[in-house]
Amino acid sequence: MKLTVNGIEREIESPPLTPLLFVLREELEVTSPKAGCQQGGCGACTVLVDGDPRRSCLTAVAAVAGAEITTAEGIGAPEELAPVQQAFTHHYAAQCGFCTAGMLVAAHAYVEGGGTDDRHAISEALAGHVCRCTGYVKIIDAVAAAARGDSFDLAVTAEGQYTTMQSGGGS
Amino acid sequence: MTQAAEVLLPSSPAEAAEAFGDGKGVTVIGGGTIVLPELTYGRLRPKKAILLARAGLAGLTRSGSTVTIGGATPLTELVGLDSPVGPCAANVADGELRGQATLGGNLCAGAGPEAPRGDLQGALLAVGASVRSTGSGGESTLPIDEFLEGRGNRLVLAVSYEEPAAGAFVALDRPHTHEYTALAVSAARLADGSIRLAATGAGGHGRRLPSAEAAAGDPAAAGEAALADVKPHDDALASAWYRQQTLPVLVRRALTMLEEAA
Amino acid sequence: MKAVGARLPRYDGVAHVTGRTVFVDDVRIPGTLWVKALRSPAHHADVKGLDVRKAESAKGVHAVITWKDVPLLEYGHLSALGIPADEPLLAKDDVRYKGQPIALVAAEDEETALEAVEAIELDLEEKPALFDVRKAFDADAPRVHHWGNWYPHFEAEMDRRQIRKGDVDRAFDEADAIVQGVYRPAAIEHVPLETQVCQVVPEPNGRLTIYSCTQALYFSLGVVAAHLQVPLNKLKLVGGTVGGGFGGKVDTATETMCSLLALKSGRPVKWRWTREEEFLCSSTRAPWHMEIADAVSKDGWILGRKMLTLHDSGGYARFSPYGLTKHSFHHTGAYTIPNLSFDGYVVFTNRVPTTAMRGFGVTSVSFATETHMSRIADVLGLDPFEVRLRNANRIGDTSPNGVVYTDPSTVPTIQAIAEHLGHELSADYRTMTNAKREGELLPEHLVAQLGNPEDH
Repeated sequence: MKLTVNGIEREIESPPLTPLLFVLREELEVTSPKAGCQQGGCGACTVLVDGDPRRSCLTAVAAVAGAEITTAEGIGAPEELAPVQQAFTHHYAAQCGFCTAGMLVAAHAYVEGGGTDDRHAISEALAGHVCRCTGYVKIIDAVAAAARGDSFDLAVTAEGQYTTMQSGGGS
Repeated sequence: MTQAAEVLLPSSPAEAAEAFGDGKGVTVIGGGTIVLPELTYGRLRPKKAILLARAGLAGLTRSGSTVTIGGATPLTELVGLDSPVGPCAANVADGELRGQATLGGNLCAGAGPEAPRGDLQGALLAVGASVRSTGSGGESTLPIDEFLEGRGNRLVLAVSYEEPAAGAFVALDRPHTHEYTALAVSAARLADGSIRLAATGAGGHGRRLPSAEAAAGDPAAAGEAALADVKPHDDALASAWYRQQTLPVLVRRALTMLEEAA
Repeated sequence: MKAVGARLPRYDGVAHVTGRTVFVDDVRIPGTLWVKALRSPAHHADVKGLDVRKAESAKGVHAVITWKDVPLLEYGHLSALGIPADEPLLAKDDVRYKGQPIALVAAEDEETALEAVEAIELDLEEKPALFDVRKAFDADAPRVHHWGNWYPHFEAEMDRRQIRKGDVDRAFDEADAIVQGVYRPAAIEHVPLETQVCQVVPEPNGRLTIYSCTQALYFSLGVVAAHLQVPLNKLKLVGGTVGGGFGGKVDTATETMCSLLALKSGRPVKWRWTREEEFLCSSTRAPWHMEIADAVSKDGWILGRKMLTLHDSGGYARFSPYGLTKHSFHHTGAYTIPNLSFDGYVVFTNRVPTTAMRGFGVTSVSFATETHMSRIADVLGLDPFEVRLRNANRIGDTSPNGVVYTDPSTVPTIQAIAEHLGHELSADYRTMTNAKREGELLPEHLVAQLGNPEDH
């Protein structure tokens, strides 16, 4: 069967009931979705399936044959970070980074889907994602900033400081 | 993880029914939210598995006041329905899981090893739904009360019900979305004025609360009466004792909400 | 000092947000075998038989290890701190907690490894188990550990951590009231998003490269070298990228076993714990049992404290004696109590061995002390802020273990909290400082208990 992963069509050899998480990590070596629990309880494995965030550990690969899969590697690159990736960087929304890939794709889908900076709505959207490091506040700050369309200058000045954030228009 | 010997991906309801046959030795995968972890952890080693992703069994239609929901419809499509079905679906897991978990899977879920499953059983009992399924003996349509007893060997094709005049759904708070609901009560006043009450998490699968229904005019009394209809259990989420303390409260609240919806 | 106060980019920030950070489980080495463990199904049992031959000969299995494969089976991770070894890397004669590793398998894939584990023949004779630290001291309690039911190797072979200071009996005689409390915080599981994981590669030059999620690279390097009985330069630990540790990834729980499998199979191996293993078998913060009795005067001075702590170490000692020691040093918290009688025991039970977690040993006693201060205020009908300020550490006070405070922060911290909360303190308390006690500020019961003990 075929899957498009981060824009590239791939031929899948794994048997049909193989969880998508395993196909991505082991067969295709796309390692940003993580095996946090492999029972759908933590959100570290979340990827976008045709734009919708889904737990890849719960998804049999044959059920998504032909779909477009997007992971954290695919929503932006270091030279061109997506708004949520910039926001996460600016707001220090990642500490150990293990939950980050899952959080990011869910946040990306939320923002792309017109989500607002309402903190309750963001909490609902990310409700399936567990983080043990940050206490969530900075994650919600980051998603709210991305939803508002804030822009960030991520360049580090000679003094070793970020320049201050400017509020920008919508994206 | 383990692999089934034979994996089928039917592309129509008829194909799905044929693949299911009498259900013996068949593992049905709707959204996969319950089955995939069993495969991953080596607890389930199916000989034959049917994936319903393309079987044409998803979709929600309305005809007058009759709601019909395909067995493989993801719970997210039920969230907008009136109480008790809508709020009950909205209280399952989180958005990502609701986008994948199916109504049929929820109805047919056996008891979990540590927590009760199948919340939608309660809401659909309250609205007096009927379940069209296939399996040994072919297709049949049963009231959900009867369907739940033999659900292990049936493939759910569709569930339908008449929208109630009023509904209520009350559940114990979940500390986190990855928790199952320890105890929930659904209530509905049908078009003919009768009141139906059902509970999930009170022991076994979802069940009606006939003693509480008989006392429905007095919510507090109905709450106490409900204890006669259930045999709660201990599990990782809550003790039987705790369920016995809280069931009357949930019943009273559900009936009060129904009264206020008049 | 350009960094202090500046907003700096995280060096791993862009990698995290682009999904490019390489955690141990993301390392890809061709030919890596999957590892699964046979773990004790019983809380407490003697091992009567262990036969791994069916696992070893199964198709796709490249190595099976048991205690026989370990050059040094027991190595005390904190032997440098005087804590002797007590825990076999893999169980030999008995098992002391459910989930204790007995044998490990390295195979071509996860399913083959799981089936091989199921093929191992294990014969256990179960024994009664002990879970309640309070019962450990009963004459008829199950015997959990070969040292007895509590750790007997503190300095001078004492069986408890003991602190005595001043004259606690006199304090209790002179008290206006005795305030008692029992505090029992439960075990806490760290729940890092990344479960325990390790990958070991046997290099052509005879060294092992160990990709580890440990929080303590050099520490784990020493532990592995000791068990394997190899010089340190035979091992290369690669790590520092940890998906959450919080104290739970210091136990070196996987590296040694994976190293043995890599050596025995000649192939790279990877062991990634499932979330269930992480919850059920990984070490937790310890449950504690603390009893405090304070002799107090009616105006709120704490004249003396008697305290008993039972630290639940689980089946083996690991770092618990060290944790209890820190706990004992801090058992008066941010306050100075001049007359002390503290006894703390490291108690063995048939639970998973406990370990460090953020504030190891001290978090428990801070909780107990602070709650107890509020309890004192409640009993005496006094303001809880003022009771704390009255007994707060001052310059020149000594800690329970005799350390002289040079600039303790209790007073300004509590004053700041009161102000932040809008809680009005009376004038004396609002203006007091942490200055050395003298004159009126030196109540009689504190004379001769403060400053450098050698001065008295």
